[in-house]
Amino acid sequence: MKTLFLLVVLLLVSGCSESLVLVMPYEKEYFAQDKMSLSPIAERAEQEGHIFLIREASAGGESSFQGGCGCR
Amino acid sequence: MKKIILVLLLTLSVYAAPRVGDNAVTFTLPALYEESQSLSSEELKGKVVLLNLWASWCSGCKEEMPLFVELQEAYADKGFILVTSSIDNEAQSAKDFLSDVDPKKRLTSLYDADKILPKTYRCPGMPSSFLVDKFGVIREVYIGSIDASSMTQLKNKIDKLLGE
Repeated sequence: MKTLFLLVVLLLVSGCSESLVLVMPYEKEYFAQDKMSLSPIAERAEQEGHIFLIREASAGGESSFQGGCGCR
Repeated sequence: MKKIILVLLLTLSVYAAPRVGDNAVTFTLPALYEESQSLSSEELKGKVVLLNLWASWCSGCKEEMPLFVELQEAYADKGFILVTSSIDNEAQSAKDFLSDVDPKKRLTSLYDADKILPKTYRCPGMPSSFLVDKFGVIREVYIGSIDASSMTQLKNKIDKLLGE
């Protein structure tokens, strides 16, 4: 029974741990902002993707269909 | 030891989220447009209420709002009231959105700056809506946006509750 009690206490105390911080759905206003997006501008994301592909391809990375010349 | 476990269980039950069959949370919140005015849950007794917790930054909330305006128009004088409670950090954001969707201000719009209702209801998602009967009992909980198909089911439930 003591073990059970200790387990319950540990469970409750673990709630204070920083690793268990939980952002509730109604607290996500700042996360919902455009600037929090990894690709805030869709057009730019496409362009950046193209450049990334060229750059990585030139180093033998992501794909082999482009050789780093920048042309499509 | 039994007493300790009992106390712990009771403590946990206090923190449990309200569910279907429980009494709806009592509140008094200011109106979105007129901060000097407020609405209390006591004033809603005797009416079927759909309490919608939303925010202008929540895309699902914005999708369902035009359907809610239509719903309120359809049930305007039938003892049904749709109460929306915005949890935006700034009330103006909610006003700006509603000015497009609900220009005639059909919805009863409240402003919950401190997020009291979602905290009390422990909303697991946004938006969240709670269908409350005439006696203040939660009869249905909707987590996530309500689309056109689920709106038909919602209307059937409202009709049923209005007839009780």
